[in-house]
Amino acid sequence: MTELLVKNACVIDPLSGINGEVMDLAIRNGKIVEEVSDAAEVVDAHRMLTMPGGVDSHTHICGTKVNFGRYMSPEDMRAGRTPRRGAMHATSGYSVPTTYGNSYRYSVMGYTTLLEGAMAPLEARHTHEEFTYTPLQDTMANTLFDGNWGIMEAIRDGDTKRVAAIIAWTLKAVKGFAIKLTNPGGTEAWQWGKNVSCIRDPVPYFEVTPAEIIRSVVEANELLHLPHSVHLHCNNLGTPGNYTCTLGSMGLIPDLNKKRQTLYATHVQYHAYGGSGWKDFCSKSEPIANFVNMRPQIVMDMGQVMFGRTTTMTADGPMEFNLYRLHHDKWSNHDVELETGSGIIPVVYRRKNLVNSIMWAIGLELALLTKSPWQCLLTTDNPNGAPFVKYPEIIALLMSKRYRDAEFATIHPDTESRVPLPAIERELDWHEIAVMTRAGQTRALGIQDLGKGHLAPGADADVAIYPFKIDEVDPSAEYQRVIDGFSQTEYTIKRGRVVARRGECLVHGSNATFWVAPKVPENYDMGKDPDFIEKFDRYYTVRMRNYPVQDEYLTRSRCIETEAEL
Amino acid sequence: MKVTLAMKPVTKGFIPIEAESIVPKNFLSGTDFSVWRGNRELRLDEAFSVSVEGSADRAEDVEVVLSGDTFRLKRVGEYMDGGKITVLGGIGMHCGNFMSGGTIEIHGNADGWLGREMAGGTIVCRGDVADYCASGYRGGRKGMKGGTVEVFGRAGDFLAESLAGGTVVVHGDAGDMTGAEMRDGTLVVHGNCSRPAANMKGGSCYVYGTARGMIPTFRKIGTVQHDGRTFIQFAGDLANRGKGNLFVKDYEYLD
Repeated sequence: MTELLVKNACVIDPLSGINGEVMDLAIRNGKIVEEVSDAAEVVDAHRMLTMPGGVDSHTHICGTKVNFGRYMSPEDMRAGRTPRRGAMHATSGYSVPTTYGNSYRYSVMGYTTLLEGAMAPLEARHTHEEFTYTPLQDTMANTLFDGNWGIMEAIRDGDTKRVAAIIAWTLKAVKGFAIKLTNPGGTEAWQWGKNVSCIRDPVPYFEVTPAEIIRSVVEANELLHLPHSVHLHCNNLGTPGNYTCTLGSMGLIPDLNKKRQTLYATHVQYHAYGGSGWKDFCSKSEPIANFVNMRPQIVMDMGQVMFGRTTTMTADGPMEFNLYRLHHDKWSNHDVELETGSGIIPVVYRRKNLVNSIMWAIGLELALLTKSPWQCLLTTDNPNGAPFVKYPEIIALLMSKRYRDAEFATIHPDTESRVPLPAIERELDWHEIAVMTRAGQTRALGIQDLGKGHLAPGADADVAIYPFKIDEVDPSAEYQRVIDGFSQTEYTIKRGRVVARRGECLVHGSNATFWVAPKVPENYDMGKDPDFIEKFDRYYTVRMRNYPVQDEYLTRSRCIETEAEL
Repeated sequence: MKVTLAMKPVTKGFIPIEAESIVPKNFLSGTDFSVWRGNRELRLDEAFSVSVEGSADRAEDVEVVLSGDTFRLKRVGEYMDGGKITVLGGIGMHCGNFMSGGTIEIHGNADGWLGREMAGGTIVCRGDVADYCASGYRGGRKGMKGGTVEVFGRAGDFLAESLAGGTVVVHGDAGDMTGAEMRDGTLVVHGNCSRPAANMKGGSCYVYGTARGMIPTFRKIGTVQHDGRTFIQFAGDLANRGKGNLFVKDYEYLD
């Protein structure tokens, strides 16, 4: 039995309704409890800001795509090299670091739970293997269903229950956590050398539209009672004028779930563009935020862009090709059989570039114009908008108008006429930041009942203690202190152990992986469906029995069983 | 000040020594520093017989002379910004990485990556150089940015890859992919080479001999006089929307 007592913690825990209360946290065997014995080890927090461990609800850290980003950018590996030290392995890389690099840097920032944004089902083993070497965070993986042949055929036949059944079989087989749609239909169209321009374009051969895919999969998601909603990367990412398409996609979504949102729209910054071309490119964050303000069934994340070098990677193959034609640098493109595809290119976001400056402003506007912080979460779509190590700067930008103005003065001068940002006075407070970096994510992912993202008794003891007192820092003026404070925790506690202290990771750790296993009736078990088996044998390069990820791939398996309504 | 480092003979083993500490500036404050052989740290006098004549208070006045079996000595002169290094024999890989000033003179041959990503200064090699001389590094966009590299022997493959400034002159033949991805600067090969200036974006490349396996995506412009000879001028690489100039004495396309 191990016990730990965190004394004098100034706790902000939005899910438990605690806002800035100085209290003690008792921890036994990795869980928060009411009280511990006198023998407990004591950590004195000295009234420093204490929050549940950070949760990133959309980041690309593990899997084939990330790894390809690593080996196509050896120059990225030259940045951010750290030697072996204590329990820490050597790391390298900046925008696509090694797995240990990701894990240590997240841990030092107080993050304890991560969701890999896009895992191709066929390549799931790679993702799970890298999870094993991301030891200081619990992990889960969004599973790609945007171009799944079986699902598109079921949608064409109008059979939503079969859609749900295929999703259930696949999630269970690949040990995935949630449904991800990346440019639904578009990546499949790309395999025919085409794309879909918006939600009403039919996908070649399958003759279903993105709108039909989104709607059916959302319904299927609710039939399966999955903890998370559908995680959508809208069509038409990164094109001027795409905000209408984004509004159209969001407008398809009914409110189907009482506990959480029905749609999680990811990196919306990339989907909030106005204008008819790059010449009149402008921000359309206002209509998007207004739309979301009126619809509690939608949660989005920022996908903030920060200036500097990074790598973009997505399952949205056609979009990456367009980006390649703009940048004319390296480009990689992959096709994943019956499922999806991907593309990767390195980019540099520049202050002097008008388009990049507008993109930077849009992300912040979305966060500031969305009234409820529960509906706009803080991400950079790591590493697409910026590496996650930029989060503290984003927090400071959201908390300080003065910092935003100072930064605004350094970007392209024409930005002012294209974005509403300079007129926005709002400054977020500590509680709102806590929502946008952990509580909101937890609720959106539906992992609150699993003991994540809050500090009530019974919860997992994942705690981040930041080295400042909220009553002594004025975030609106002292933004540098906010940046420094959020960059490095005083203590990061994971499962009741101190795993990081002042920038140093102290233990080897071992991650837990959350995945879902929806229970379906016998007649919807795709493993026994003759038609599904025949398609599998005919088109996949692997045998069906070799497809599922074996249990050995998960060091600590946390299976979430759900009852499907089929 | 003249510092002579005579390599002590190694009785067994072929483990190279990493000697990025051997730059003229470091000798201003004595010779008490170390080099690495594999995972073992060696004091300078464990690896070399060290003798120092005179004194200096500027790096420019320091000359380091390396003798003995120095062909497995790596990273000599990395980040050097002044002074002189003379190598009496051959030198190992990565000599003069990132150097920004001073002179390195090599009397023997140099192994790969000589003067990689250098920004200034001069490197003279009297023998041959191996691959990636005066080039960039894996994945990097820019190679050598300034300074001069002159080689009196032959050069290996990928000579001056991603060249972004400065001058590279090779008096013998060069290998395959000479000046690949070059974007600025001047590359002169007095002998033959193959597939010169592939995917070039800018700069000038001169081949005084025959360009074998000439890249087909260069546009022929005509003949020009240069250095008392007649060259055929090409512009390209069109595949990369390039605006570079390639001058060759003679060329042959792949069959």
